[in-house]
Amino acid sequence: MSTLQSIPVVAPPAEEPSGGGNLLANVFDELLAFCRSRSLFMLHYCTGCGAIELPPAMTSRFDMERLGIQPMVTPRQADILLVTGYVSTKTLKRIILTYEQMNSPKYVIGICSCTVNGGMYWQSYATAKKLSDYMPVDMYIAGCMPRPEAVISGLRELMENIRAGRSDNWRDYYQRYDHYLGNQQRLFGEHWQTPTDVIGEARHYGQFGPETLGEHTALLERHQTPLLPFEMRLGLGDVSKGGKS
Amino acid sequence: MNALDILLALSALMPPAALLFGRWRGYAWLAGMVLTGQIILLAGCDLPLAAGMNLEIFGRSVGWRLDAFGRFFALITLGVALASTVYMGGEWGERHAAGGHSPRWLHGALAGNVLAMLLLLSSQDLIAFFIGWELTSWAGFLLMAQGGEKALRAALRYVPYAMSGAMAVLGGLALTLAWTGTLDLAALTGIMPTLDNTKLALLLALFGMGFSIKMGLLPFHLWQAPAYAEAAGAGTAFLGAISARMGLFALALLLVKLMTLTRVADLAFIEGLFTARDLLAWVAALTIVLPTFTALKQNDARYLLAWHGIGQGGYMLLGIVIGDATGSAGGLLHVFNYATYQAALVLAVFAVMHRTGTADLNSLGGLVTRMPLTFLVMLLGIIGLAGLPPMNGFVSKWLVYRSLMLDGRPLLFLMTVIGTLGTILSVYKLIHNTFLGQLRAEHEQIREAPWSMTLPMLALVILAFVTGAAPGLALSWVAEAQAALGLPVLAYTLGGIESPRGNLDMLWIVGVLFAGFGIGALLFYGAGGRSKRVHQLDNYAGGHFLSADVRYHYSDHFYAGLMHRIGPFYRSSFTRLESAVAAATDLAASLMQVWYRQTVPALTLLVAAVLGLSWMIWK
Amino acid sequence: MKMMELLLELTVMPLLAFTVGLFMVLMMRKIAAKIQRRVGPPLLQPLYDIVKLYAKETQSSHGLLHDIGIVMAVGGYIAAETMLPVPGMNGIADKAGMLTLAYVTMIPSLGLALGVGQCANPNGSIGIARALTAMLAYDVPFVVIIFGASWLYGSNNLVEVIAAQQAGGIASWGVTQMPLLAIAGLFTLYAMLGKQPFEIYVAPAEIATGPMVEMGGKHLGGLFVMQCFQLFTASAIYVSLFLGGGENWLFFIAKLFAVVAIPMSMAFVFPRYRTEDVLAVVWRWPMLLGLIGVWLVMR
Repeated sequence: MSTLQSIPVVAPPAEEPSGGGNLLANVFDELLAFCRSRSLFMLHYCTGCGAIELPPAMTSRFDMERLGIQPMVTPRQADILLVTGYVSTKTLKRIILTYEQMNSPKYVIGICSCTVNGGMYWQSYATAKKLSDYMPVDMYIAGCMPRPEAVISGLRELMENIRAGRSDNWRDYYQRYDHYLGNQQRLFGEHWQTPTDVIGEARHYGQFGPETLGEHTALLERHQTPLLPFEMRLGLGDVSKGGKS
Repeated sequence: MNALDILLALSALMPPAALLFGRWRGYAWLAGMVLTGQIILLAGCDLPLAAGMNLEIFGRSVGWRLDAFGRFFALITLGVALASTVYMGGEWGERHAAGGHSPRWLHGALAGNVLAMLLLLSSQDLIAFFIGWELTSWAGFLLMAQGGEKALRAALRYVPYAMSGAMAVLGGLALTLAWTGTLDLAALTGIMPTLDNTKLALLLALFGMGFSIKMGLLPFHLWQAPAYAEAAGAGTAFLGAISARMGLFALALLLVKLMTLTRVADLAFIEGLFTARDLLAWVAALTIVLPTFTALKQNDARYLLAWHGIGQGGYMLLGIVIGDATGSAGGLLHVFNYATYQAALVLAVFAVMHRTGTADLNSLGGLVTRMPLTFLVMLLGIIGLAGLPPMNGFVSKWLVYRSLMLDGRPLLFLMTVIGTLGTILSVYKLIHNTFLGQLRAEHEQIREAPWSMTLPMLALVILAFVTGAAPGLALSWVAEAQAALGLPVLAYTLGGIESPRGNLDMLWIVGVLFAGFGIGALLFYGAGGRSKRVHQLDNYAGGHFLSADVRYHYSDHFYAGLMHRIGPFYRSSFTRLESAVAAATDLAASLMQVWYRQTVPALTLLVAAVLGLSWMIWK
Repeated sequence: MKMMELLLELTVMPLLAFTVGLFMVLMMRKIAAKIQRRVGPPLLQPLYDIVKLYAKETQSSHGLLHDIGIVMAVGGYIAAETMLPVPGMNGIADKAGMLTLAYVTMIPSLGLALGVGQCANPNGSIGIARALTAMLAYDVPFVVIIFGASWLYGSNNLVEVIAAQQAGGIASWGVTQMPLLAIAGLFTLYAMLGKQPFEIYVAPAEIATGPMVEMGGKHLGGLFVMQCFQLFTASAIYVSLFLGGGENWLFFIAKLFAVVAIPMSMAFVFPRYRTEDVLAVVWRWPMLLGLIGVWLVMR
């Protein structure tokens, strides 16, 4: 963790969008990417001191809203998960749940050194050091704490990435779920599970990758009490059977 | 034998048949077929129709004769009875029998109610009317008493009310005979309006009190909610949907046909400012508001609906008291509309009770995935009860609102709207606490109610929807009833009404509404990304991990903010009034006993002496 | 041919309402920004938000009713827009009347309430309980105003109310004929829009945006669409009752935006009421003004 290169940001190389030479083929996707980049709802999980830099970034001085960024309250509504400081083991569980409850495309931004490498809590037994071990992080904004200018600059870069289609790390969580789950299990023990259904989602949305399943997900399935959604069911049983029972 | 004779004869056969064959499973189908036949017969016959049967009591002939006004109520009665009979013929009835109750008595009481009501509705003179009235009361009591100990206690509470009501009616009857010399309704129509004001006021007070008790008008409403709520399921539906409307029938007969509304308006408390008619309108308006907000506080689904039943009666009376074509049509139409969705709602609540064993709004939740048909019934039912388009409850309330607006009664209008808004709040609580929110772990394996229960409920709400989209269907009966009663007749169209002062065309409104829903569905399902169902525990709780053993359904004290404001207005004044009357009666009875039994002769002597002396001195 | 025209109107009216509503949302956010000395969102920001939300690649639904709730919320307003006359188009306004319109606009709220209920989130349920309480609060003075207007113009039909106002110019506008009711109406409109201090049911910091707590993706997008419709509907009703409706689209839009701008310029300097205080304030002042206004109108 001593060199800048080892800061673990997953950034797949930018691909040429498919569609060949047809200009119109990509218009719709471009439009969506543009709208996504210009409308970012942000959920700030204020774990540490970095949160104090967000109000100035949002209010009159720097005004994030002119970039289309505004704070939201619950994970369902949000596009960006901002983790603003050190992440204790206990907090990390909540952050993972929050992340999994967000709707994709979703982006994670780690603010402050603590999310990069533990920062000043490096020696703490109860602090997760690298946020990107547990969920894919799209952007780190280092600093202790980063000033609002840095936050804004990081957000602008994220916007640029989204527009160019470079920020697709949410797929990584589905495609390499086994890897992330393994790290989570290492920290929380083998009984770790969230009420969300990541594997089911990966299957439902066609995000299955070679590393979605593995030994860790096998372990999860052994312990998990499955939470299948309650489907609406008519269950009009025959009258006689119900009557006798 | 004409149609009315057949109708009454069939109804008279049913109670003994029920008592004999009520245990037999096929009885419900038999009774259902008879009721269906009666409905067809009644809907098809030409009116008015006099029964061939005539009695001679004290030298006065007693007869039955059905006009369009009576038929309107009779059709509703038979329809609701049909739904209730089918409902209790299936699994529900078996459960009821297994619980130690008698299906014979339940079927018998229901059939008895139908007979009594038909007799009442087709009475030709006040004696026949009184016979029908008493039969209705006692048959009602029988039906109320069917649901176990609590039901019996609630039904017994009804008895003093019913008796004092009957005494009042009997008193009114005697005075009518003394002052007019006749009891024939047709003859009375001409004579009663010519009585002088004092006599008319006395008659109005006596009859009015008797009829108000049955209808549950303020301040005589206290008996109704528990008596109707605690009765056995299908019985509750019948009682709630139509039973109390017999009071409305009688009131409308009295106010519109016998006394005429103009004469009622002559009885002024304050000359030119506040007349008996205003008093009735205000009683109706208060009957809308106060019971509705009492319903809002209930935690038992059955009580909630029963209290709404009292409140909805206010709209009907208010519409009739306004007395113009629109208002009275609204009031009468509301009888029909209310019967359709109230019966469906009560049956739905009992279907939930059948599956979960409780109607407590704090121990249910999330049942929509398990009982979707029942949910659909309740949804359509509450939209009707709340009076929102596209259900029929909206149409009848709209007619009442409009006539209040055009009549220039802002405060009464405001009361009706407050009642509607309170109903919306209350029924949302009902459906939310029952069908929405967290599904409890113990309810995960629940199944939908059987067809014998869902079919009658669905039929009722479909009827409520169809007559909402095309109110003209029901308005044709209403217009006939208006004509028979001597009210101005509403000019209606299939979709509602057309008038230079504002139209209502429900066909268009419902059509556009569903087109809107269609476009909304296209936008939702066509335009967005795919969605995936999530489990209810995959839910936002500030990062907390929810688990099935934690109950997080928000149900108790649902409208906390509202209660903070209006809570102090709930003073149980009427309960106290009831206790005070009961205590006063008790005291009077004790005094009478002291005097009669001569327990303290000296005191009696003293009182008599003092009274005698003072009388002599005063002389 | 008449039928075709009507069908065309029925299609165009909701579209126009939505477009106007989008810009009203923008104006609202711009006003908030200006009050707080910010730049505020760009011109098409409300559209970006909606497109983005609909285009979310994974979306979570709590069940059929959660979806149906949104369908009802959007669809109900689409239907309501056709009952609201705009310049050149009456839709089915003369078949419904304003009382019907008032009740039809409750359907989206009911749909939303059902959808939120299915989410099984207590924050959402609390939000709905408060929203319904707020509805009870503002609808009471609202119907008093409707009563006054329909008494004054002798009709329940919005088309005729507007025609009566336009026939006599400003002197016959509702605002000059019944000024007290107009003030009460503005107050009611303010409460209806549900911005601070009447923001009881959203209350982000307390109940996590209440009804919207479990809404993401197209569910939230649907609610954004609904908000556009809601702003348009509320202001258009006000304009039709008090400001003579629209002689042409230019005046109409100017009036609409002015009507929304007034409460919005006040909203963002306020904190939030408690539920019971909303009831107290709305049942006291607009009610009092409304009842006096009705008395004056009826005299």
